[in-house]
Amino acid sequence: MSGQGQVSFRNIVKMHGEFAALKGVNFDIKPGEFFALLGPSGSGKSTTLRILAGLDAPTAGRVLIDDKDVTSTDARDRDIAMVFQSYALYPHMTVAENIAFPLEMAKLPKAEITPAVKDAARKVKIDHLLDRKPGQLSGGQQQRCALARAIVRKARLFLLDEPLSNLDAKLRLETRAELKKLQRSLGVTAVYVTHDQEEAMTLADRMAVFMSGEIQQVGTPGEVFARPNSIDIAGFIGNPPMNLVPARYVDGDVIIAGHRLKTTATIPGERDVVVGLRPGALRMAEGGLGARVDLIEDLGDTAVLDLDCAGTMIRMRVADGNIPGEGDTISITARPQDIHLFDPATRMRL
Amino acid sequence: MATTAVTSAGIASEAPRSDFGRVLAQRERRFAAALLAPAFLALLATTTFPLLFLVYTSAFRMDLAMPFTNGFVGFENYQVLLSDERFWTSLLVSLVYTGSTVALQVIIGLALALLVMDMKRGQGWFRVIAILPVVLSPAVVGMIWRTFMLAPEFGIVDFLAINAGLGSKNWLGDPTLAMVSVIAIHTWQWTPFAFMVLLASLASLPEDIYEAARLDRASAWQRFRRITLPLLRPAIVMVVIMRTMVALTAFAAIFTVTAGGPGTATEILNLYAYRKSFTELSIGYGSALAAALLVVTIIISGILFAMRRAK
Repeated sequence: MSGQGQVSFRNIVKMHGEFAALKGVNFDIKPGEFFALLGPSGSGKSTTLRILAGLDAPTAGRVLIDDKDVTSTDARDRDIAMVFQSYALYPHMTVAENIAFPLEMAKLPKAEITPAVKDAARKVKIDHLLDRKPGQLSGGQQQRCALARAIVRKARLFLLDEPLSNLDAKLRLETRAELKKLQRSLGVTAVYVTHDQEEAMTLADRMAVFMSGEIQQVGTPGEVFARPNSIDIAGFIGNPPMNLVPARYVDGDVIIAGHRLKTTATIPGERDVVVGLRPGALRMAEGGLGARVDLIEDLGDTAVLDLDCAGTMIRMRVADGNIPGEGDTISITARPQDIHLFDPATRMRL
Repeated sequence: MATTAVTSAGIASEAPRSDFGRVLAQRERRFAAALLAPAFLALLATTTFPLLFLVYTSAFRMDLAMPFTNGFVGFENYQVLLSDERFWTSLLVSLVYTGSTVALQVIIGLALALLVMDMKRGQGWFRVIAILPVVLSPAVVGMIWRTFMLAPEFGIVDFLAINAGLGSKNWLGDPTLAMVSVIAIHTWQWTPFAFMVLLASLASLPEDIYEAARLDRASAWQRFRRITLPLLRPAIVMVVIMRTMVALTAFAAIFTVTAGGPGTATEILNLYAYRKSFTELSIGYGSALAAALLVVTIIISGILFAMRRAK
């Protein structure tokens, strides 16, 4: 490996005419880390990846790789490998020629290329397909070919742009696990773009959550899940996402639909807030908030209940064997540490 | 017992269906034949029949200047042709003319297409202007070049040559320059065709593989040689085939510019067959020359199509 693969983005701005695709993005990626850029479509995560790869130039700001400013360095000279969403395989070359291409460009002797190609193909389990052309491969096989082409040259940075989005659900889960193992075994820094929060949560060591051209939170999946920074992230992470309910805050308590719940907050005074409640953090208990069960989605081992709390819809996850009937009225509550408070005006965490 | 039941049921339900299918296929075939017939008959009358008549004529002595010698001669015309030095010269001129015009069209057309692909604006205008030479009649193109471009002293090319310090040249009077001139004229008129086809083909290439190649550390030249050229190959081969067919049978532009002269310097095989038939009125021998051109064209197109199929 020719470098450590440490990345820093310093105030990166990208304008498309009047439209700001990125509004001053800052983050650091540590060497060997699996770092996910997560966000809905159009949030700027792919733009960030393209700027890191050197395929697009930022309007302002600096990109540092291994403490070297590469902002104006061409993609060719950044020593970065990338797997494209479309795979971008060379259609006129066989799988072997596709994988060998980056090594040939690096002017490696042929005697070294052949074993390296076989080794990379074996790692992603396509060594029996080396003579095929991309057009003769299935989507999953093409994806593996693109992976092999990226890992064969042992670049210092490994970029993946929604690599699993064109695979079917089952294959996506299998490949996800293999991808993580592959990255671990290679020890390479990986930057992974996805709009699928589950993918980011399971794969990433750390992640940056993008919302409309800005990073709203950087942290481990656990941190982001446990303490979302804003209403937008709270509504984006988790399946089903966090319930967000308008409420009144009075000296450490919140009042939802006339019912008082204790929180861990210590701010004195009274104000309007948005309360965040994870579906899995709600429990049934006597003397809680009254709610009618509108709909039950049985998922086998758990069920998701749609509850009507005096006109507000709240979703709750319950374990199997503990499921009330549709139309029943139940009483729910949450522990103080499971209640998240957000400012309705700034949309940020309180 | 169960097996027999299934088999007989299978046959019972299959028989009428395949019958139905056959009737349907027959009807479709008849309809297709009816659609095809007019074009087929027209081609038969205007292409196949004249060709067969040409081959038939080539087996006769048909001299309009000396009609008393006319009669069936079998392969005599072809024997004469093989020892006719002017035939071999004109064949060589044809091959040089075809080879150089096609090569120039592809190279210049591709260069222009690559250049225009990178143009941020004005592509549409460029295309419209580029198509103009193609829509002109070759005879008109020939006249334009003979008068406006190559005329001594006043022609644009000669004017430029004088100003560049090369002096006035006899563009159509000197054997070598005349050949160069007719090649330039054909190239000027037909390069836009290659340009348009290759530009369309270039525009259809996916952008992301070029980005992948940049990340794979391929230089601009390597991207062109290893990716653009192989992906454009089908389009290039198609242009070569189509332009070769036309160049081999070119006539009007050369006829109007040099009429095959000076001497026989620009006399392509087509022109020689024309001169033999309609100037010297030796129809039988002219037919044999035209048949020889047909054979040459078939051989060359056979080779090109084989190249197209090959990897």
